[in-house]
Amino acid sequence: MHKSALAVLAVSLALPLSALAADSYTIDPAHTYPNFTINHLGFSTMHGRFDKTSGKVTLDRAAKTGSVEIAIETGSVSTGFEKRNDHLKSPDFFNAAEFPTITFKSTAFHFKGNTPSSVDGNLTISGVTKPVTLTIDAFTCGAHPMNKKEMCGADASAQIKRSDFGIKYGLPAIGDDVKLQFEIEALKN
Amino acid sequence: MQQLLNHPAVQAGFAPFLVALIAAELFQRVKLSGLAIIAGFAVTVYLASNFNFDPLTASRKIVLLGLISAVLGLVLTQIRLHLFSLLLPALGGAAAVWVVIRILQQHPLQTALLWGAGCAAYVATLIWSMNRMENDPVRSSTAATALGMGTGGAALVGASALLGQFGLSLGSAAAAPFLILMASNRTIPTGLAFTLPLALIAGLTGCVAVLSANMPWYVLPILAVIPVSAMVIPLPKQSMRIQIMLLTLLTFAIASGAVYATWRIAGDVPF
Repeated sequence: MHKSALAVLAVSLALPLSALAADSYTIDPAHTYPNFTINHLGFSTMHGRFDKTSGKVTLDRAAKTGSVEIAIETGSVSTGFEKRNDHLKSPDFFNAAEFPTITFKSTAFHFKGNTPSSVDGNLTISGVTKPVTLTIDAFTCGAHPMNKKEMCGADASAQIKRSDFGIKYGLPAIGDDVKLQFEIEALKN
Repeated sequence: MQQLLNHPAVQAGFAPFLVALIAAELFQRVKLSGLAIIAGFAVTVYLASNFNFDPLTASRKIVLLGLISAVLGLVLTQIRLHLFSLLLPALGGAAAVWVVIRILQQHPLQTALLWGAGCAAYVATLIWSMNRMENDPVRSSTAATALGMGTGGAALVGASALLGQFGLSLGSAAAAPFLILMASNRTIPTGLAFTLPLALIAGLTGCVAVLSANMPWYVLPILAVIPVSAMVIPLPKQSMRIQIMLLTLLTFAIASGAVYATWRIAGDVPF
């Protein structure tokens, strides 16, 4: 009886401790921008980005696990030219009216030492979900120099083919290969 | 060859016109020249986006419903089901709501109801007015050509090449029986197999262009005037060519107005 009571106590103490071991963060939309580059007619590489992103990250560096969920507002696509933005929002490309968000949900974190090196996950664009691996090119955690809040930041990248997501307008003149570049900052909850 | 087939003008202009011309001539003996419209549209879909229905987006629903409506029109041309034919505008209106439902779900209820009702009314009006001309190939083919060109032109200017191609392919395909009428000065049978898919595809394309691109809503009532005016305008009992020319002047002036109204809002084509 005495032993089992101790066991219950140990388990009940251990559960919240393990839950606490994973730090949770909320993405800072003012410092998180998914960017993309695509070849234009074989002449140049065009750049664009999405202006509105939200999401959550959890990270357990001791257990080398984590999770990330990112939602990108399709209608916030910006290339510096309003008419092209409108075209990118149309059914020819992102179909923002029908699919207002692009999502990325992680399935596995990979670490090199104590630092995350890549994230496997499912990227959903225009209702099509495909597995994508985000390579983490830079990763830093620490205190914000001004407000002293704990935060993490990362640069991540991935390469996709837009045709895999059913976006086939202008192929092959407008490139099929799209490089995604994420700049992410997240504040600890 | 592939480079040629990738060209938007071939995909939405030359190819559907050529295929529709062949289909109109081929099926003339069995009085099914109306199939020209879906034959031309199907070629554009095949060249521009292929017959892929997953995920079932609004534009893919247009393709699916277009094919179904062609079969339905064919059946109704052969077997006269008068009462069922009267229901077609209502069915078209319901189909319009189904096509744009995912877009409507992104908006507040009041906006969604307004847009859904507007789309349904627009598609129902087109189906009703085009079907009224099913046995008048002069009026129906002229109205169809102008409606297709007007819808396609406005959708193209309104920032969607795919929807623009849908509309323009209808116009190009409808121009085939139109050209046969002009050249031969004799009527060719079109029927519901012609008017139903034309009205449904054009109507749905217009709705989706308004809801997902930059085509202003008031372009839809302008486009709806095309078949209505072609239906009611009195024509001189002279040669068919003169009738066609008068109808062409009227309907293309309205179609040009629709494209101009879109251009005023959306500006130049971005591609």
